[in-house]
Amino acid sequence: MTKDSLQKLEKLYQLCLTEEEKEGVIAFFAKQDDEFAALENIDTANVERMVHVMPILTVVREDVEKKLFTREELQRNAPETMDGYWQVPRLVE
Amino acid sequence: MRYETVIGLEVHIELATESKIFCSCSAKFGGEQNDHVCPACCGMPGMLPIVNKHVVDLGMAAGMMLNCDINRVTTFDKKSYYYPDLPCSYQTTQWFAPVSVNGRVDIETSKGKKSIRIKQIHMEEDAGKLVHDDWTNTSLVDFNRTSVPLIEIVSQPDLSSAEEVIAYLERLRSLLRFAKVSECRMEQGSMRCDVNLSVRPEGSDVLGVRTEMKNMNSLSAIARAIEYETARHIDAIENGTEELVQETRRWDDTKGASFAMRNKETAGDYRYFPDPNVMPIVIDDEWFNTVKSNLPEFPEVKKARYIDELGLAEGDAEHLIQSRAFCDCFEGAYEVCGNAKEAANWLIFDCSKILNQKQQTVDQLNISGKALGELIKLVLDEKVSRANAKKILSAMFEEELDPAEYAKANGFIVSNDTGAMESVIAAVIAADPKSVNDYKNGKEKALMALFGKCMKELKGNCNPQVLREMLLKSIENA
Repeated sequence: MTKDSLQKLEKLYQLCLTEEEKEGVIAFFAKQDDEFAALENIDTANVERMVHVMPILTVVREDVEKKLFTREELQRNAPETMDGYWQVPRLVE
Repeated sequence: MRYETVIGLEVHIELATESKIFCSCSAKFGGEQNDHVCPACCGMPGMLPIVNKHVVDLGMAAGMMLNCDINRVTTFDKKSYYYPDLPCSYQTTQWFAPVSVNGRVDIETSKGKKSIRIKQIHMEEDAGKLVHDDWTNTSLVDFNRTSVPLIEIVSQPDLSSAEEVIAYLERLRSLLRFAKVSECRMEQGSMRCDVNLSVRPEGSDVLGVRTEMKNMNSLSAIARAIEYETARHIDAIENGTEELVQETRRWDDTKGASFAMRNKETAGDYRYFPDPNVMPIVIDDEWFNTVKSNLPEFPEVKKARYIDELGLAEGDAEHLIQSRAFCDCFEGAYEVCGNAKEAANWLIFDCSKILNQKQQTVDQLNISGKALGELIKLVLDEKVSRANAKKILSAMFEEELDPAEYAKANGFIVSNDTGAMESVIAAVIAADPKSVNDYKNGKEKALMALFGKCMKELKGNCNPQVLREMLLKSIENA
């Protein structure tokens, strides 16, 4: 982790870190990087990719439409609504 | 210097399902805002996704139609996406093990045949819609489309012109409509295309700066956008008019120009990671074979069979294979009436005319092949006149009905009652002696006028050949 890559992540995650926090994050990732570098030395050529940590499969459902909630029920705790829409701060200029 | 354009496409296809990909809400287009929503697709805390099996069926079917390998273990991943039209702040998509990979689509253009490689087809959820309200200076969110199932078909950069892109998209549309994967209606957004384009000197193996264009909702707009963007890239390279940067651009079809939207993200920026809420999906042999056995015959195979085995003209066969609905109806009608030419003509001319009048597409054809075949058989057996059969056909588009019963109930069955025909002929001749004399003096048209009047009186329900013979005999004796 470098100052530049942290700056990019700050933007992507919409974070605002103090200089002190930034130094802490960089130091933390420097340690992680060493540990990951050690993992890279392991030969995984013949190891199948693990797709999930639990040995269970997904449950699928049939394609049947059901209406379980009304709009009014769903918007009951919305801070702002207008004409059936959720209303949020303007996104484009 | 001569340049070549290098194009790769990302095509989003909305799948033809009843419900959404991870919840049971309606996946139908439109509706009142936020009427097709539930806590899951609104991103309420604690809600978990449950995969719609039919989405996986269609993802596999699309892969099989495009000659892909199917990943028997397929997984979903989270793609970071911070925007209010996807309320979870991520999109559930497939990155590490998409359902279909390594396919091929064959196209034909004025320059000949070409194979376009498919990198992958992945399943994912659509985003909602935003409306920006000037009056309140806010944005309004509609989650109806959120979590509607999509597949994204990613091609390799094998395309090199607008003509090839159009041929590729038409081919995709035809194959996916045939397999009933999607209606692929660009005007409704159920088929959307992003164009990745770069330009390089002809013969070079180094790719130029790539831009991605969005917001094209018709094939002609895509062709115009490719031509514009190619010219913009060449101008920048040759004349230094601007610095080309990797970015996403929006196509404005009214202005005929593309405009920068944002710097293009790289895959790393999306921070994909396996979705812990959706377990892996394992496609066993039984599931795989069920989907495979339900695939339709490919359009070209059908066309060749229609020509070689059923004796259709090439143009008629080509017309029919534009739509799976037409092919299914044609085959059903042929099975019942046994006359391929008649079945094709009724679909191509009469059914198409009614669909046009109703402003419906060929895929909205809602009459069964069996019923159309029965109607054609009534005409071929001379039990119903062609004119009345067309009236019955119109009624068949309004409601499901048995053509023979409808014909009987509405007095459309051809009568063999020669007595009734004789009295009508006598009355028509008595009322129009001028036409009788005109015909006797050599005016052929006068016979048609008399014949038409008789037909009208008999409401079309007589054998036209018998009526004509009886009319001629009566005129001779008049």
